[in-house]
Amino acid sequence: MFVPSYYEFVNPGKILSGKYALENIASEFKLLGSSRVFVLSDKVLNELGQVKVLCDALVSGGVQVVGTFVDIPADSSIEVVNRIAEIYRQANADSIVALGGGSVIDTAKGVRMLISQGGNDIMKFVGAEVLPFARHVPFAAVPTTSGTGSEATAVAVIKDGARKLKMEFISQFLLPDLAVIDERFTVSMPARITAMTGLDALTHAIESYSCLQKNPVSQSYARSAIMMIIENLDKCISTPSDRKARLAMANGSLLAGSAFSNSMVGIVHAIGHSLGGVCSLPHGLAMAILLPHCMRFNLEKCDEDYAEILSFCISPEEYAAVPRKERGLKCVEVVETFANAIAHDAGLSLKLSDNRIDKASFEEVAARAINDGAMIVNPKAVSKEDVLAILEAAY
Amino acid sequence: MVMNNNISIHKKISNSMKSLVARIVLFVLYRGIKVLAREDSRIMGEFQSWPDGLSVVLETSYNGPSISLQKKGDRLVRVSHSENANIRITFRSIDAAFLVLTGQIGVARAYAEHRFMLSGDICQTMSIVRCIDIAESYLFPRLMTRRILRKVEKKEFSTIRVYRKIFVGV
Ligand SMILES: [Fe+2]
Repeated sequence: MFVPSYYEFVNPGKILSGKYALENIASEFKLLGSSRVFVLSDKVLNELGQVKVLCDALVSGGVQVVGTFVDIPADSSIEVVNRIAEIYRQANADSIVALGGGSVIDTAKGVRMLISQGGNDIMKFVGAEVLPFARHVPFAAVPTTSGTGSEATAVAVIKDGARKLKMEFISQFLLPDLAVIDERFTVSMPARITAMTGLDALTHAIESYSCLQKNPVSQSYARSAIMMIIENLDKCISTPSDRKARLAMANGSLLAGSAFSNSMVGIVHAIGHSLGGVCSLPHGLAMAILLPHCMRFNLEKCDEDYAEILSFCISPEEYAAVPRKERGLKCVEVVETFANAIAHDAGLSLKLSDNRIDKASFEEVAARAINDGAMIVNPKAVSKEDVLAILEAAY
Repeated sequence: MVMNNNISIHKKISNSMKSLVARIVLFVLYRGIKVLAREDSRIMGEFQSWPDGLSVVLETSYNGPSISLQKKGDRLVRVSHSENANIRITFRSIDAAFLVLTGQIGVARAYAEHRFMLSGDICQTMSIVRCIDIAESYLFPRLMTRRILRKVEKKEFSTIRVYRKIFVGV
C-alpha cells in the first residue's frame, strides 16, 4: 500500500449507525454539555413528518428543541446561513442537529461556524485550514440521502447569492461531532435520487483513492466504501425497502465522505461543479456522466490505483483472469458498466445531450473547471482543451 | 521543572539558512512572474484575468520572510505588508516553505501535504498556482521540474532570457 512522504488525516466524528440511532443523540448531547437544541431541515422533510420524528426522539431523550428552521432551500446561500445564525441566537440554543441532504448539512456547518466564531457574516471565514478553534457548539448531522457524505467531511460549500459563486470553507472544526445514520430516513429516497447520490458517493471513493492526497487511512475508507456501494446500490433501486442495503449504502457514503474530506476529489468534481454552476446539471448526475470519461483521461497516471480498485469490484477469480497490464483499463470499463446499469434502472441517461446541456456552454464550463480547487489534486495536469475533449466525449 | 525554550544552535542555523534562501527565491519568483506576465502568453492570460487591485501575501512561516504583491493595472508590484490581503498563503514551517521554494516538491504536492494554510478565494488561488507552475518551468532546471510538476509547460523562450530580465532588467 502507498505511504506518502507526509500526510494528515482528520477522523470523522462519532458515528451512530443503525436502529434507533436518532434516540441516542440526546444522551450524546448531554455528555457534551448541551440541552437546548436547534433543528435545521428543509420543507419537504418537514412535510413528510421526518422533522417531527427527529424532534420526538430528541425530546424523549431529555433535551429541549428550542427552535427549528425548515426553510433551507436546495441551493442554500451565505445569506441563509447568516439569517439562521440570527434566529439561533434569539432562541438561545446551545447545539445544532441538521436533518437533510448536502445542502442542509452544509448550511448547518456554516451556521455552527458563525455561532462558534462569532460575528454576523460567514464570508469572513472563507479559506482553507486557517480558522482557529473557537467556542464548541455540539453538532449532529443526520443525512437523509446517501451521497454527499457531508456528515463526515471537514468541508462546506455554500453559495454567495450576490456574486453567484460557490464559496468553499475547509476546516477541521467544521466536522460534525456526531454522524448519525438512521435507517428510517434512508428507505424513502426515490430511485432517481438514490442512483444519483449513490454514484456521487462512488465518485468520491474512486477519486479519493486515486488522487494526489491519497494515504493509507483514506484509502482504507475509500476501499470499504467502494465495496459497499458496488454491492448494494442496485439493490436499493430494485428493492427500495431493503433496509440492509440502504444502511450499507449510507455507511458507504459516510466512509467515502471521510475519505474525500482527507484525500480530496479531482477532475470529475472540478468539471461537475462547473456543469452544475453553468448548466444547473444535478451534481450526482454530472458525476455519473463524467466519471468513466475522466477515469479514462487519468488512466495513464492512475493505472495501479485503478487495478487495485478493480479488485474491490469483481470476484478474486475474475480478477486473476485479467492480465496485469489490462487491469487499470478493465476497472474503467467495470465502473462504466456499473454506472450505466444503475442509470438505466433508475431511468436516467448518462449523456450530456439527453440532459438538455447545450454545447454552446462548453467554453464557459471548461474555463471554470480549471479554476476549481479540486483540480489541484488531480494526478494529471488538466488544460482547458482536455476538459473540452471530455465534455465532447460525454455529449 | 525544566524549561526548554531555547532553540539549539543547529536548528537556529538551519532556520536562518533556510530563511535566507527563501528570501532570495521569493525575490526571483516575484521578478520572474512579473517578467513573464508581460512575455509568456499563458501567464499574461492568467494575470489579465485577475481583478485589478488583487493583493496576495506569501509567508514562508508565521514569522519567516514574506512577500506582498498587488496587481495594479497591467503591472504586478511589490507592496508593503498588509494584514488584509485578498489571498494569504502561509507555510506552516520554514522547512515546508524551503521544500517548495527549492523545488523539492511542487505546489500541488505541498497542498496535498497540507504544507500551507490559505485564506481567501480558492478559485482565484488556482490561477496563481498555474502561474507559479509555469514560472517554475522556466526558473528551475528541467531535471527538477520533470519530477515535481504534473506537466512541464513548454517554454516560449529561454530560461536565460528570463533570468537576464530578472537581474539585469533588459
Ligand atoms: Fe460529490
